[in-house]
Amino acid sequence: MTIQSSASAENIIQTAQSLRWEVGANFHEKLMESIYTDAARIAERAITRPGEKPRFDFDRTLDRIVTSRVWGFPIMVLLLMVVFWLTISGANVPSSMLAALFLDTIHPFLKNLAANIGMPWWLDGLLIDGMYLAMAWVISVMLPPMAIFFPLFTLLEDFGYLPRVAFNLDNMFRKAGAHGKQALSMTMGFGCNAAGVVATRIIDSPRERLIAIITNNFALCNGRWPTQILIATLFIGVLAPAHFAGLVSATAVVGIALLGILLTFLTSSFLSKTWLKGEVSTFSLELPPYRPPRIWQTIYTSVIDRTLIVLWRAVVFAIPAGAVIWLIANITITDTSIAEHLINFLNPFGLLLGLNGVILVAYIVAIPANEIVIPTVLMLTVLVTGATGVGEGAGVMFELESSTETLSLLQTGGWTLLTAVNLMLFSLLHNPCSTTIYTIYKETGSARWTLVAALAPVLMGFTVTFFVAQIWRLIEGLL
Amino acid sequence: MSDPLLSLVTAAALITTGMFVFWPERGIYWQFERARQMTERVLREDALKHIQNCEVQGEQPSLKSLAGALNISTNQAADVISSLHSHELISIQGTEFHLTPDGRDYALRIIRAHRIYERYLAEETGFDEVEWHTRAHRHEHQLSPEDVERLAHRLGNPIHDPHGAPIPAADGSMAYYENCTELNQLPLDTLARIVHMKDEPEAIYAQLVAEGLHIGQEVRLVESSPQRLRFWAGGNEHVLAPILAANIAVIPITGEPNKTDESPGQPLTNLKPGEDVQMVAISPRIRGAERRRLMDLGLLPGTTIKVEMESAGGNPIAYRIRGAVIALRKSQAELISVCPEVDECHDLDMQLEEQR
Repeated sequence: MTIQSSASAENIIQTAQSLRWEVGANFHEKLMESIYTDAARIAERAITRPGEKPRFDFDRTLDRIVTSRVWGFPIMVLLLMVVFWLTISGANVPSSMLAALFLDTIHPFLKNLAANIGMPWWLDGLLIDGMYLAMAWVISVMLPPMAIFFPLFTLLEDFGYLPRVAFNLDNMFRKAGAHGKQALSMTMGFGCNAAGVVATRIIDSPRERLIAIITNNFALCNGRWPTQILIATLFIGVLAPAHFAGLVSATAVVGIALLGILLTFLTSSFLSKTWLKGEVSTFSLELPPYRPPRIWQTIYTSVIDRTLIVLWRAVVFAIPAGAVIWLIANITITDTSIAEHLINFLNPFGLLLGLNGVILVAYIVAIPANEIVIPTVLMLTVLVTGATGVGEGAGVMFELESSTETLSLLQTGGWTLLTAVNLMLFSLLHNPCSTTIYTIYKETGSARWTLVAALAPVLMGFTVTFFVAQIWRLIEGLL
Repeated sequence: MSDPLLSLVTAAALITTGMFVFWPERGIYWQFERARQMTERVLREDALKHIQNCEVQGEQPSLKSLAGALNISTNQAADVISSLHSHELISIQGTEFHLTPDGRDYALRIIRAHRIYERYLAEETGFDEVEWHTRAHRHEHQLSPEDVERLAHRLGNPIHDPHGAPIPAADGSMAYYENCTELNQLPLDTLARIVHMKDEPEAIYAQLVAEGLHIGQEVRLVESSPQRLRFWAGGNEHVLAPILAANIAVIPITGEPNKTDESPGQPLTNLKPGEDVQMVAISPRIRGAERRRLMDLGLLPGTTIKVEMESAGGNPIAYRIRGAVIALRKSQAELISVCPEVDECHDLDMQLEEQR
């Protein structure tokens, strides 16, 4: 009995095996295809459409214009420039208002309060000068531009224009081995890299999505624009005659942003040819019909989903950073603060890169938020140079009202034009902020890719600044 | 401060050294890695595969053929043979050597690992078709039998690799197409289907891929002479030297030809804006995730496609598919065949309907 049944079982298996050879290679797909096709056929029979609805003429005309070879690119550049201009110029006023509120009003008030209740100086310093100030700085620098940029961006998205941008730019991205939709996550990255990384979810192809995530950091984010603008104004603008100063410094900043875009393409191309070669790649891009944007809903969702969530994460990371900054400036080992020890230790390396120890330390402690780099640099410079009359004490971040004062303070710290240029380059090419790193980890779910995304830009930054510095000095020596 | 010239030279030297060492594929590090992997075991396994291959093809393996296949000297080949003999994987009679049953099992296990891994590369990764073989060749020695079984299970226990070569079963048995012949031996004007394209030697395989040939395609021989073969496949005429065509195995199709497979249409890229067409088939070269994606979008045989617009860069072109506007790249659109004459397609449609 058992022998018989096992023999027949073997027979069945054998028959099945030979049948598998007969049905052919891709019968799974054939089956799937025919099921889909049948479904479509049945649906076609059962569904009656009330007259063929022609595509709106408006849509068609608009598409012809925004994707035409002549007008496609200029319209795109123009629209993006308008968005950036609105963001940067529109954010100035609320930013300074927030700064006045948080830094000039609430901060002294809290200090007074602490003094009145007799709080020990170290607790008061750690809590108010360290944690509170860092948080206040991040909010006042970050909130206004994000609250303007994200809704504008979402409006364009909602209207249906952004998919057309991806459509137009796909040719360039394809040559770099990337997806046209990366144009959108990159543009989003100009607002905030963490949001840009989240925005790569629209890319459904695994390889192209990883490329977009890793290269998003090359889009100069909101937190870095102020640094760029300040340094360009102080050091590069002054090289030109007064009435050209604004233009020259603006060109320098735009140049850095364009360099970032160039590096995005180069890195994408490199990655897709090396480490990411084996990742699955698919392409399809839907161009939805245009529709009137739902303004209130857009503003609500973009403020809640993008602005507030990103802001919250930044604040969460900024508070401990503030504590660390205050602590390293105030804890002393053999009569010198930890900060100074660190600066002295990193100074030779910094100088090799055309930067200095202060900048490197500032970038280390400001990993949580790029917004506090400049205040930290100023504070540390005062700490190191012992300059008097500026700043508010060890560990207290500040910014100066007048640019000449800032310039002279930095020059006391040994800054030259080279330092400024390299700081601008390093501000573009360094590790993403911790919010972004955390987001990358959450989006990729891989520690390895997170590490690549975090370290690759720093290494590029070191290389670029090193070569700029050495060639600069070589030429300087020859002159 | 250090001398800028000195540090520049140092850095340049460091970078050059780094590139020299780590340059993809050709760097010293990778060469070293490869050499390290070329252990005795790997040589033995490759030798077993070669002997097995010769036996299947009815040829007599020799020290010379072994040395050629493994890219080693004849002396080394002799070492490998004696090592195989001492492990009782082969038996030696005079100058001839044959696999022992153990040796054959071992060889089939390696072949199984190779072909399953190739299948995995084809289905679940983005590596280019011409890279599959080399990659699988590297991995076949590293996969444990458990790894291979896990992979096979995940891929739905495939019976042949992406080139159509049969995968030996876990118990060592290997089935193959009955009644299959080389393309050279196909009678003129008989409809047949490509079932296997040998992926070795690589240069020949690359040529076949470049011709646009793939398994599952229907072929019909038009002219056959010792100098060249002329045949139809995939709606195009191809001319190949017999030595190339010998690497293609086909089985004659009996009964009614399946019209949808023959792709009478032309690639989607040939269309002008505004034209209406019906889709006929997606080429088998679009596979895995990408194929599913296209089907999800509603690209099915019989679907009406209309060219909607070109992008400003000229490359992705937007098509209207089932009411949605979908942009596809040229490289994809090339692999989708469509039938421009709606009447003809309609006939096709009717036939399909009748078949049901």
